[in-house]
Amino acid sequence: MKLQTAAEVISFAKKLEDESAKFYENLSQKYVKDEDTFRSFAKENGKYVIQFQRAYYSVISDAIEGCFAFAINPDEYSFEIELAGNTSYYDALNTALEMEERMIKFYSDAAEQSMPLMADVPRVFALIAKKRQSRKPKLRSLLVMRG
Amino acid sequence: MPLLDEPIKGLPLVKNFINGEWVESKGEIKDVVNPAKDEVIAKVPISTKDEMTAAIEAAKEAFPDWRRTPPVARARSLFRLKELLEKNFEELSRIQTQEHGKTIDESRGETRRGIENVEVACGIPTLMMGYNLEDIAMGIDEFVIRQPLGVFGIIAPFNFPFMIPLWSAPYAVATGNCIVIKPSPEVPITQVRLAELVDEAGFPPGVWNVVHGEKAVVNGMLEHQDVVGITFVGRTQTAKDVIYKRCGETGKRVICQGSASNFMVVMPDCNVRATIPALMTSFFGNTGQRCLSGQTLIIVGEDNKFYNDFMDAVVDATSKIVIGNGLDESVQVGPLRDKGKKEMVLKYIESGIQEGAKIRLDGRVNTKVRGDYPGTCFLAPTILENVMPDMKIVREEIFGPTMGVMRAKSLDEAIEICNNNPFGNAQAIFTSSGKNAKEFQYRVVSGNVGINIGIAAPMAFFPFSGMKDSFLGILHTQGQEAVRFFTESKVVIQRWF
Repeated sequence: MKLQTAAEVISFAKKLEDESAKFYENLSQKYVKDEDTFRSFAKENGKYVIQFQRAYYSVISDAIEGCFAFAINPDEYSFEIELAGNTSYYDALNTALEMEERMIKFYSDAAEQSMPLMADVPRVFALIAKKRQSRKPKLRSLLVMRG
Repeated sequence: MPLLDEPIKGLPLVKNFINGEWVESKGEIKDVVNPAKDEVIAKVPISTKDEMTAAIEAAKEAFPDWRRTPPVARARSLFRLKELLEKNFEELSRIQTQEHGKTIDESRGETRRGIENVEVACGIPTLMMGYNLEDIAMGIDEFVIRQPLGVFGIIAPFNFPFMIPLWSAPYAVATGNCIVIKPSPEVPITQVRLAELVDEAGFPPGVWNVVHGEKAVVNGMLEHQDVVGITFVGRTQTAKDVIYKRCGETGKRVICQGSASNFMVVMPDCNVRATIPALMTSFFGNTGQRCLSGQTLIIVGEDNKFYNDFMDAVVDATSKIVIGNGLDESVQVGPLRDKGKKEMVLKYIESGIQEGAKIRLDGRVNTKVRGDYPGTCFLAPTILENVMPDMKIVREEIFGPTMGVMRAKSLDEAIEICNNNPFGNAQAIFTSSGKNAKEFQYRVVSGNVGINIGIAAPMAFFPFSGMKDSFLGILHTQGQEAVRFFTESKVVIQRWF
């Protein structure tokens, strides 16, 4: 079932960010050498939630026309983040990269879909997509260093 | 999708808020019904004229002190209220959905728009400033000061239980007046919660009063000599026959915002992909129960292919709309406010068919509600084609999820159709041509104009306008015009010997 209203897309985005933050918190505990990087990612996730919630709740043109702004298929963007006890660091980093790809796609698609009806929410979504892009080189460099 | 928690619990009996106290009414008690569930959620009194009089007298008594309170201190009370409204944002939004039926997205939008009026009124020390000129003649200066007038009445409709009273109330009290709000008895709880927050913000007793009821309390307001002015939002017929007329007879200043029958004009050069969702929200948002909603779609041009393709896209999008309980975040359109309003909309659909319109999408038979709810107040969107300008479904306000569709050969003809309608609240054009947009904006007789915007809702710092039969009065609610309405200009000419 597609997500069409701003309310449910904002709830979905929060769910993704919370899961992503939890994933990075786990990584930070498991792989202490790169603890700072993972913790900073988890912290950023929380900031993203504040940013898009602020855009949604604070800019009325978004909320008043939000019921028809999206057509998001959640299955395309959801991800499996449970790491088994014996998961290698290499696999964990690849999972992180895959998760980032999906989240970037989610924010980019959601921004593009809602652009005609909404104002600040698509702007913030596009900004988050751009910021998340910068995580990929960091994760890749960890792959090279530790892999 | 799980439902958000319902904030209204335990079947409360609503009370009046008079002189800073919650007072039980002696009037008849009626049910407040959640239209999504067809369930009684509270009881509301239909207060007596005496109770309205008591509120007006409390407001009158509070006025001298409140007026002497410096504007900057009055603004601080509003700043405190603003903080409380932010803190309780979600609860206020859910109350609106529960008692009115609108979707949670719509309620959150309404809460934000209401709060924005409080924010604008916080600037009263600047907004209320007068002006002056030194040496109008040698040694003589002249200046204008703006003074509050006393007690104002605010009569609110059912369709925006939070926002519409806030088009007036923050400006009235910020300028030093005292108010009595009469909410719609169909949706009284939002205003009760607002008054609780007003009380918590520390407004002195009597400055902000709420009296629930119907005709008797309205008459009490209209007849009372100490009420200096009234703002009213509701049906044009009531505005003309009762409010405007009686205010004229009793010398009260008045703002009357009335009915609407709005046109959305689609040019063949429009961005179709962006226009369709804007039309969905315009025609069907708030279940069509707003004075800015589109009621008739005019597709311009003689290109049958464009018309057919465009209408196919409109029908496809409309038929996919999710209807249900507004506390389910996936719902796009909630129920109508009550059974009677649904019946009224059904009558209009029937009248359209009788006058020659052709049903393209029949909401009467296609109402699929998400979740297990009684169908009492739900009605799926309906599209009627072959609509003509003189049909009742064009000339009267329907206030429901319907779209009448007509064609016009040219933009000139479309503007003529808009301008021949008795109402002039909100007309919009969808086009990629600046020339078309400019022409439309210039010539259309409408208080609010949308250009590629389906709901042309003015922000709090702009007046909420309206023309022709959609508005009676001179000044409008919101922003600078509200400040003018709630104050009188006093001119002082001075010379010192």
